[in-house]
Amino acid sequence: MLDRPDAATLLKAMAATLSDEVLPETSGGTRHAVRVIANLCRILEREFEAGPAGPERTRQALAELLGQDGTLPELISELDRSLCEREIRDDTGFDSKVRKLILADVERRLAIDRPGYSS
Amino acid sequence: MKDHTDAADETDTSALSARLAAMLPGNAEIRITGVASLGAQRRTLFLDILRDGATTQAVAQIASQVLDPADIEKEARLLRAAAKAGVAVPHLLAVDAKAGTIISEHIAGESIPRRILRLVDAQADLGSKLTSDCGRLLAMIHQIPTEEFHDLENLGNAKRYAEEMEELLESLTAPHPTFRLGVRWLGRHELDAPAASVVVHGDFRIGNFLASDEGIRAVLDWELVHLGDPMEDLAWLCLRTWRFGADDLVVGGFGQLEALRTAYEKAGGTWRAKAFDWWTVARTLWWGLGLARQAQAHMQGEVNSIVLAASGRRVVELEYDLLRLMQD
Repeated sequence: MLDRPDAATLLKAMAATLSDEVLPETSGGTRHAVRVIANLCRILEREFEAGPAGPERTRQALAELLGQDGTLPELISELDRSLCEREIRDDTGFDSKVRKLILADVERRLAIDRPGYSS
Repeated sequence: MKDHTDAADETDTSALSARLAAMLPGNAEIRITGVASLGAQRRTLFLDILRDGATTQAVAQIASQVLDPADIEKEARLLRAAAKAGVAVPHLLAVDAKAGTIISEHIAGESIPRRILRLVDAQADLGSKLTSDCGRLLAMIHQIPTEEFHDLENLGNAKRYAEEMEELLESLTAPHPTFRLGVRWLGRHELDAPAASVVVHGDFRIGNFLASDEGIRAVLDWELVHLGDPMEDLAWLCLRTWRFGADDLVVGGFGQLEALRTAYEKAGGTWRAKAFDWWTVARTLWWGLGLARQAQAHMQGEVNSIVLAASGRRVVELEYDLLRLMQD
């Protein structure tokens, strides 16, 4: 009981149609919008293909760093609060741990939003 | 040249033409020949001015919602001072501050970044020519006498700038821990020797100047001009986001940093390497916050724009750049 084509297949076809068929027929601001939408379709295709494992890994890493459980948005808010509460010259190495954790998450998101950017 | 697309998308083109004609001396007739850009802040139109049997090409910039007339007046004043200092800028033909309109001469040249980078690929010495033009022009801008510009906002104080970035961060509805790290980094790293305040262009980068195969023809887009630290302009020009994929060429995707520095110093500027690094972090943070703000404007229904919504998916690029810059 699965709808076919799935989201990734449709998004790929949408991007191709926009780029190959719609774009050549447009100009000016509309042309720019079509290009942007085709790129967004490719981003969503990659996001769908990557699945939920990546955000879950980030959630677990955050829960471990902060010593508490929660959803990803809850833990991001908690991380921000935790940074705000510390002296800017905090010497526990917390900023550097946070930086490392976020960098891994950023590389995962770049693979979806802008492949090749972090290489 | 900027895109000469369809005729002006103006509901009442004849009224607009008449209004623009009335700004000019003599019996001028105006024909709107194209739209260069429809920015959020202002639109730029190409014009033919017909007067005494002669036709002159010109450009009109019209603020979308009439901004503070003082801002238009300020920009016009600045363009005149820049011209006087020898900076290549379009010659002003008429200013109507109340209507938010500036008419200036048309200068042939390319402003679209990817097209400029294609010219650079095709012509061996153009990249280094553009780089030395950038260094020379910025040094000249930074030497514009500040006496008549005391009313400009001064963003040169590093501590105050870091506080402003924190205020921008707080104005976002979602938390951004990467940008929080950025604000904390700015607070920890003070500028060693603050510079005297100079005129800072504020948006000097590929896309905001006209280039030809001979180099930079004119510096455009002065609406973010302010007083501040000269290294702010140099850092902004070299942000990765303005290299359009040509990441090895730090200066706008067309030149080397050392060549920029040499040209800047040769034209009388003083290069401060630590300040350049500080402003690189500060401006990367500012642009990341700006993209997040654009996406938020769409999500909160202030505007309905797929282009602004898509900016939200570019924030991660600036996060990456920022994290790579903050190694200590």
